[in-house]
Amino acid sequence: MFQRFVAILLLCAGLALPGSARAAEVSAAEVMTGWYRLILELVRHTPTYSPPVAARAFGYLGVTVWEVEAATSGRGDTLAGQLNGLSPRPELSAGLDPAIAMQGAMARAVPYFFGNTGPTGQRAMAAMDKRLTERLGAGSDATLVAESLAAGQRIADHIIAWSESDGGAKVENMGFPETYVLTAGPAHWVPTSAIVQQQKPLLPDWGRNRPFAMPEGNACPLPAPPAYSEAPGSAFHAEAQEVYDTSRSLTPEQLAIARFWSDDPMLSPTPPGHWLTILLDQAEAANLSDDRLAEALARLGIGMGDAFIGCWHSKFEFDLVRPVTYIRRVIDPTWEPQLITPPFPEYPSGHSTLSGAAAEVMTAIFGEDHAFDDSTHEDDGLPARHFADFRAAAQEAAVSRLYGGIHFRAAIERGLAQGACIAGHANALRMRQ
Amino acid sequence: MTARALLVLTLGTLPAQAETPAVPRFEAFIGGPEHSFTGEWQYMVGGGVAAFDCSGDGRPELFMAGGTTPASLWRNDSTPGKLAFTPLDRAETALDGVTGAWPLDIDSDGITDLAVLRVGENHLLRGLGDCRFEPANALWGFDGGDAWSTAFAATWEAGSAFPTLAIGNYIDRAEEAFPWGSCTDNWLHRGTATGFAPPLALTPSYCSLSMLFTDWNRSGRPSLRVSNDREYYKGGQEQLWHLDPGASPRLYTPDEGWQRLRIWGMGIAGSDLDGDGYPEFYLTSMADNKLQVLAQPGPEALPRYRDDAFPRGAHAQRPYTGGDVRPSTAWHPEFADVNNDGRADLFVAKGNVSAMPDFAADDPNNLLLQRADGTFYEAGAEAGVASMKVARGGAVTDLDGDGWLDLVVVNRNAPVEIWRNTGTGAPGTWIALRPEQPAPNRDAVNGWVEVRTEGKTQRQEITVGGGHGGGQLGPRHFGLGTASEAEVRVIWPDGTAGDWMTLTAGQVWRLPRDAPPSR
Repeated sequence: MFQRFVAILLLCAGLALPGSARAAEVSAAEVMTGWYRLILELVRHTPTYSPPVAARAFGYLGVTVWEVEAATSGRGDTLAGQLNGLSPRPELSAGLDPAIAMQGAMARAVPYFFGNTGPTGQRAMAAMDKRLTERLGAGSDATLVAESLAAGQRIADHIIAWSESDGGAKVENMGFPETYVLTAGPAHWVPTSAIVQQQKPLLPDWGRNRPFAMPEGNACPLPAPPAYSEAPGSAFHAEAQEVYDTSRSLTPEQLAIARFWSDDPMLSPTPPGHWLTILLDQAEAANLSDDRLAEALARLGIGMGDAFIGCWHSKFEFDLVRPVTYIRRVIDPTWEPQLITPPFPEYPSGHSTLSGAAAEVMTAIFGEDHAFDDSTHEDDGLPARHFADFRAAAQEAAVSRLYGGIHFRAAIERGLAQGACIAGHANALRMRQ
Repeated sequence: MTARALLVLTLGTLPAQAETPAVPRFEAFIGGPEHSFTGEWQYMVGGGVAAFDCSGDGRPELFMAGGTTPASLWRNDSTPGKLAFTPLDRAETALDGVTGAWPLDIDSDGITDLAVLRVGENHLLRGLGDCRFEPANALWGFDGGDAWSTAFAATWEAGSAFPTLAIGNYIDRAEEAFPWGSCTDNWLHRGTATGFAPPLALTPSYCSLSMLFTDWNRSGRPSLRVSNDREYYKGGQEQLWHLDPGASPRLYTPDEGWQRLRIWGMGIAGSDLDGDGYPEFYLTSMADNKLQVLAQPGPEALPRYRDDAFPRGAHAQRPYTGGDVRPSTAWHPEFADVNNDGRADLFVAKGNVSAMPDFAADDPNNLLLQRADGTFYEAGAEAGVASMKVARGGAVTDLDGDGWLDLVVVNRNAPVEIWRNTGTGAPGTWIALRPEQPAPNRDAVNGWVEVRTEGKTQRQEITVGGGHGGGQLGPRHFGLGTASEAEVRVIWPDGTAGDWMTLTAGQVWRLPRDAPPSR
């Protein structure tokens, strides 16, 4: 990531520009990529940005870049009327510079959606804005620059205003509620850590947020998980026994998989950021055009935003106990999972729902059998992993939660299916004629 | 939710509730030293205070880091019940770019020296007496480097005349636009017969903000704990280094029991809270702090710790007064018995990094008093030290020699605050002990002081390092409750246990290794 970002900064800081060739040198795709690379760091360094919150921001930023691209190119369908509650964007004049308009939009939207980042992130956003704006403006007509920047800002403002009514705009105490009533009974979630904030579950109302493309939070419902039972031989006990037995015989490869997809908040770009990294890498490798990159960012952002709404809706519908709680209660009181158990109910697996959705969107963009190397965590010392296609990556992400000891199999398999269902709504959007 | 039976989980049900400890009352010192730790980007961390006696009167002077403001040295003219300080206009100590300072007797001449960390070249200052110092980097062959230095620790390796110094460095300050992942190397300056060897890079380094040499397993061979800021590292974690004689430093591994922990590590404090002979460690961070208790203490202990902060009420997770409900940001931690009841209490300096909206802006310092059952009681507001200024470093020390520990807090872009401890209103006796041994390591660093009253043993490891941006060198203070005397002994750094001696309470005692104690 660091190396990738440095390359973007060097691009932004280019020297000795020929006066008339600006537009040919910096494309809207480069503007998008530069900002998104920065966003992936900001996610890691903004404590509010748990995976659902990060996915929401990616959703709105994706819609922003698409609406700018569609408006300035005149070649795309607006998402207004297709996404819940999104009204038509402002009318823009003709002849705007697409890259400069994109810069205007991102320079407005990114600081808004990442306003909670600390002083270092604020400084980095300011540096990105300054360097890109200088680069884009060099050699261009000042009036065109001003009008293009302003046009992008108007679209960003329109998306920002829309975002504020979805139920997820205000996140306090990093998403942990002041008060929360635990559901009584052994089948239900109880705190799993000694961190005081996490004595309440993360974002219990997130499933009630307004989705982007799917009609409502429970548009892709799940069957109930196996009935809770402590009896050996029961389906529930068998699931827990599988988690326990797997942990006792974990292979180095399984441990590597668990850690590769761990994607811990504040220590990584989070699971949605992981998939966004894959997209950016594949987009660069495929040299996606401005409109195709904007479309991909929009569809993936929308799909991931909706995935967390749908998943959270189910999580708090079933409110299932975590493996660490059950296994210590019933099987082995000394058991320790490999991964840190996230502070919210178990069923379904968030990473599974998310990855199921992301893989379907990515497959729609890049096609079936698109093999790739995933180097998201190279800077953190985790080597790249190779996948035959996006669904294979999603399946590995999902089963990593079993290897890590934080999910049962039903949550994994049904999470993937739920994600695929949710992605159907994002993939069905009409975007390019 | 359906009509299921419901259970309300409220904060405070887990920590056992016991008696309220005696709360000391602190009186703000008006008209005290005028000093602030100032600056922006490169001074968002650091800002500590070194407390030590350089005037020879037994009262600790204060050397304060200033960031963009020159560091300042204050002579302590206090008398029991009355604080007084005089600025010392010393060119050799009025350094700029200072982030922190720790006192120690580097050349074992009986006069305390100073290790001064900076954004830029670090300085060792040789004490000359009467609070005079001279630059000593060249004299001792110390390479001050050129980095953003933020953490310090010292120990004496066996057979070495000079101490081994560990210096923690932070971000590559050239990477202002994209600092993440740009942590620079920490350094290990090993002591020699006449000074210091060229520094070794302690790679990997992960933007450390606190370091501490500690004999955590009572092996007689201190290890180096390093607390790192996860905001800036990639692939990092907390660290524990072996420091074996004649060998390169090496990290403890998972196979040796080391458990991966990733926090916004800001400060380390150690104390044997439970009397098992092994230190517990308090690690400051953001949102949640850690109280690490050795899982299986014993001679073959592995460095596996459980976090007792929440069950013992020491998490200090958010402001307890003032109405700001956002999580806290914790910096300098220090264990000290502020109410003289014979149990170590915990002070934690608090303050936002710099306009971080996810974290409390009004973030009062914590004063956590330890109860008899080992849980902690938040007394910051009652005690009068719940300042909302943006704190960084601190020192809990007896400034006026009355036997009650006072409090110094260095604030960022705001004046330093000093409070005098006026006591609890109840009896609370004390004793202060200063081991001394022949050179090298005259102050017996990484030895232990033990105090026994009514069958209960208190125990402190003598360390140089830890905290945030500063530390102390001086007599070790123990509260004694109502006891009029105490049995004391020293376990010297080479493992030799001194004899138990019965000493009168209410006194500062020198404990020479080969001579009777004296006042």
